[in-house]
Amino acid sequence: MATSLIPDPFQLWREALTKLEGNANSLVTGSMDSQELVRSMHQLSTLSLNMQQAFEKAIGSYLARVNLPSRKDVSELAAALQRVEDKLDRLLPASAASAVPRPPRTRRPQPEELAPPTVEAATPAAAKPARRAKKPASRSRRRS
Amino acid sequence: MSAATTKEKPPEPALTERLRLEVERAVQRSLKGVELFGAPPPTVGKTAKTVLHRRGTLSLYHYHATADEIYRVPLLLVMAPTNKAYILDLAPGQSLIEFLLARGYDIYLMDWNAPGDDERDLKIENYVLDFIPDCLRRVQQDSGEDEVTLVGYCAGGMLSAIHVALIPDGPVKNLVCFTTPVDFSKMNLFRSMSDAKVFDVDKLVDSVGIIPADLVVAGFDALRPASRVAGQLRLWDNLWNDEFVKGFRMMERWGNETLPLPGAYFRQTVKELMRANALYEGTLRIGGRKVDLGKITVPFLHIIAQYDHIVPPACAQPLVQRVGSRDKEEVMLPGGHVSIAAGPNAVKRMWPKLDAWLQNRST
Repeated sequence: MATSLIPDPFQLWREALTKLEGNANSLVTGSMDSQELVRSMHQLSTLSLNMQQAFEKAIGSYLARVNLPSRKDVSELAAALQRVEDKLDRLLPASAASAVPRPPRTRRPQPEELAPPTVEAATPAAAKPARRAKKPASRSRRRS
Repeated sequence: MSAATTKEKPPEPALTERLRLEVERAVQRSLKGVELFGAPPPTVGKTAKTVLHRRGTLSLYHYHATADEIYRVPLLLVMAPTNKAYILDLAPGQSLIEFLLARGYDIYLMDWNAPGDDERDLKIENYVLDFIPDCLRRVQQDSGEDEVTLVGYCAGGMLSAIHVALIPDGPVKNLVCFTTPVDFSKMNLFRSMSDAKVFDVDKLVDSVGIIPADLVVAGFDALRPASRVAGQLRLWDNLWNDEFVKGFRMMERWGNETLPLPGAYFRQTVKELMRANALYEGTLRIGGRKVDLGKITVPFLHIIAQYDHIVPPACAQPLVQRVGSRDKEEVMLPGGHVSIAAGPNAVKRMWPKLDAWLQNRST
């Protein structure tokens, strides 16, 4: 296996980015132990939220005054329209093309030789070996 | 850890070759960077489904079967109220929904929409004693089956577990949870941010009613504050790689579409779960009744992500210890909170494990 003696600067850059990210995350999350810092963060986000609300309220008032809908109004209208369409789809007779497939419920687990590949686990399962819980015989409802 | 399979590393190219490759990539970055600016949002969640029911913030979907025969017991998936469920159906080949359909499961899904102002008072009670049982009933009606397997992801798993604990004799035949929090004392950062000394949750909820999505996103971002910037730099570095860009944009879209939360639900989560740790302590009361996880006796599977920074393993592990099921299993797999269910490696790790566990309990 041939290896270059000169390190790949681009790979070094990528590794440095990952390391820097990890260090920065640790530094910031470690500093969250400080109640003062967390309190300041909350104050900042509350201020931002209040400013945003005030701005939206001002814009909303202006739009109402000039008799125009806001983006939120239009989105809500679109969502309501979609709900009406969905309801219509459910109420109208289903066409053959849109019929939901209803295969029989007769499937059984695959045989052992066709079992899925072994799963790589981080640690062995901690619980007891699986035992089938006893359940009363189920009753399938007859669909009308 | 993965089974060791020694593969011989390909020989590293010489520096000149690497430089040539990087110049080529730089050109690709410029061209594709321009394309990216004008690109529409990535297509996600396209596996065929029918809207079975919609009520405000709740949507119930039924996915169209793709197998010639299906297992008797349908699955009802419950997504966390903070996020859209299409993370489980990102794209062909990267979709848990598509995988389970191909394996012959009948899939129903509880997804969430942004709650309206009239839903600001929704609490945990509404999710576990109204939405979930309502959807279970609709699944029974639509499928013609009495028994249903409940599968919850993160807070969806928590809501599912609370529902089964409160209604242990209901139609739930099996319970599966992915990365579900129980011991909130192990969520150090969230607890620190929601401490009563620094955060007045009542003032916030009373003033906004619905917790804005930006605030929810900020809470998650605070767990890894440098990762958003680092992610953008990696995106730039890999702009030449169409597969990387496609995957990144799908995940980014999902993160950007984080949902707002009903204020009452948020207040309850902060006060009772985060501060009082009531679910773990056994003091949580929902609908006037104490939530006793020991009342869960149905077959139970909990899949935990080894590198989960949102729900650390120590926060999730008590769940399998607390449930009263005889048939119960906890599996810890390599991966993060999202990648365990939706990442590129999920297809060879979590999904086959879920299938192997479910197939013998779905007949």
